[in-house]
Amino acid sequence: MIRLVRAEWTKLFTTRVWLGLLLGACAMAGGFAALFTGFAGRTGNDGQALPDVGTSAYEQAAFAVSANATVLLLILGIIGMTQEYRHRTATPTFLVTPRRGRVVAAKLLAYALAAVPIGLLVIATNVLVVEIYAGARGAAPSLTGDNLRVLAGAWAALVIYAVIGVGIGALLRNQVGAIVGALVYLFVVEGIVIRAIPAIAPLFKWLPGGALQAMTATLDATDLLDPWQGALLLIGYGLVAAILGTLFAVRRDIT
Amino acid sequence: MSSPSARQPVRVEVRGLSKSFGAVRAVSDLGFTVEPGSVTGFLGPNGAGKTTTLRMVLGLERPDAGTATFNGAPYASLPEPARTVGAVLETAFHPARSGRNHLRVYCRAAGLPLSRADEVLTEVGLAEAGRRRAGGYSLGMRQRLALATALLGDPPVLVLDEPANGLDPEGIQWLRGFLRHLAHEQGRTVLVSSHLLAEVEQTVDRVVIVGAGRLVREASIEQLRSGADGAGTVLVRSPDADRLADVLRAAGSAVTREDDGVLAVAGSTPAEVGSRAFAAGIELHELRAQTSGLEEIYFELTAGREQFAAHSPAATTDPTTEPEAAR
Repeated sequence: MIRLVRAEWTKLFTTRVWLGLLLGACAMAGGFAALFTGFAGRTGNDGQALPDVGTSAYEQAAFAVSANATVLLLILGIIGMTQEYRHRTATPTFLVTPRRGRVVAAKLLAYALAAVPIGLLVIATNVLVVEIYAGARGAAPSLTGDNLRVLAGAWAALVIYAVIGVGIGALLRNQVGAIVGALVYLFVVEGIVIRAIPAIAPLFKWLPGGALQAMTATLDATDLLDPWQGALLLIGYGLVAAILGTLFAVRRDIT
Repeated sequence: MSSPSARQPVRVEVRGLSKSFGAVRAVSDLGFTVEPGSVTGFLGPNGAGKTTTLRMVLGLERPDAGTATFNGAPYASLPEPARTVGAVLETAFHPARSGRNHLRVYCRAAGLPLSRADEVLTEVGLAEAGRRRAGGYSLGMRQRLALATALLGDPPVLVLDEPANGLDPEGIQWLRGFLRHLAHEQGRTVLVSSHLLAEVEQTVDRVVIVGAGRLVREASIEQLRSGADGAGTVLVRSPDADRLADVLRAAGSAVTREDDGVLAVAGSTPAEVGSRAFAAGIELHELRAQTSGLEEIYFELTAGREQFAAHSPAATTDPTTEPEAAR
């Protein structure tokens, strides 16, 4: 299994996909952190004031923005799995490892481990921007207590979403379909539809987006699970997708 | 990497292999054996089920029935498949990854030293291009990279699906020599598919011919030559054909009268026919052995077995117009 994980790392780091997604994720985390800090304390169109620099509400919200980059880690995982089909390398991959479940397991592990330093860089960018910008505005947040908990939650979410990406890729096999499907699901189905229909809105906390919010959200802390429950739920979604994918999609004929 | 295990002879046995895609029976009850130390040509027209068969042999597709084994073990049960079987199927690699890195991926997965990547690149003549993106490779270079991938584990068995596709004449020449070397000097088991007999005629020792998913013929190339109608048939032309026919029949040969004073004599050599005619004082105007070309035999064996036969008049009569686009 160790050699399969290393093979996956070689695959990952011998094309530039990871670099593009890492830079994108850092830009996203840094950009959101800057926006959030820039608008801190201002009053929005709805008359509600955003929490000001120096408040714990601001600090936790500003440290949670890395969680927005989970979508890029999700794409990283999806590409990692589906490129085998897109570029037909599934053939040599499954020739070397005929037990295909081992390939999927190795990818889950390889992407989880690769997402640890990638996620750390994203978090570091977030922290750097917040410390410098908020410091310039008068109150650099401390890296202790709840602030640290929020950062750790965002970091874990980044890692878990890479795992979910591999699982979705195994299930759907089609790269473009998997990416578009995942984005539409996260931003349209979960983001708008489910929360807009009161009858099914309580379901939200059990869904991937709700579980992600449970891990990091601080502002609209409505009806959500505990952070650790959210993390377990997300890992569960990733593994279930990977297992179903292995059983019903990956084992199909490679033609 | 010339470990003794790599030279262990491995026999490939295919038994009762069947596979349908919907209503189309791609492969029906197919069985054959591939022997170590020889190059076996797996021949048949396009759509005869060759690729499907090879992919089932390699565990990439699931047969509806039947087995394919390597010294008794199916592919999926081989403890180290990359060190037992090397396969060249459709060329598959990430276009943004260099050829060398592509090979290193499979070194890692198969537990081979990374230095194998450079060794096989040299072996197939790609050492110079190894660090370039594989997406920029020519068709011939892609085939060489696929071959390099197959050779990584120094496997005793090589399975190649239409490896000559995309190679230039020089490349085909090189491939022929390379495959013969792998089988005859290194004792490997080599199975190479092609839809063109001419392409592999000089390379293969044995042939497995399939048509419409069924076995048509399994034989050595000599058996194929001699077992065909033409073998042992002598054509002789004489102004005294009737008397010659009687003389030859009296000597036990089967003689058929063809037009224009030509006799077709089965089961004799030209020398025998000539000396009998001389002994009987019969004048001869022509005496020759009828050698039926292998291509012709192959065409006769597979005629009408294409899955998607095109009914163009030329294609049904002239074997040399077999699809050549892929060459």
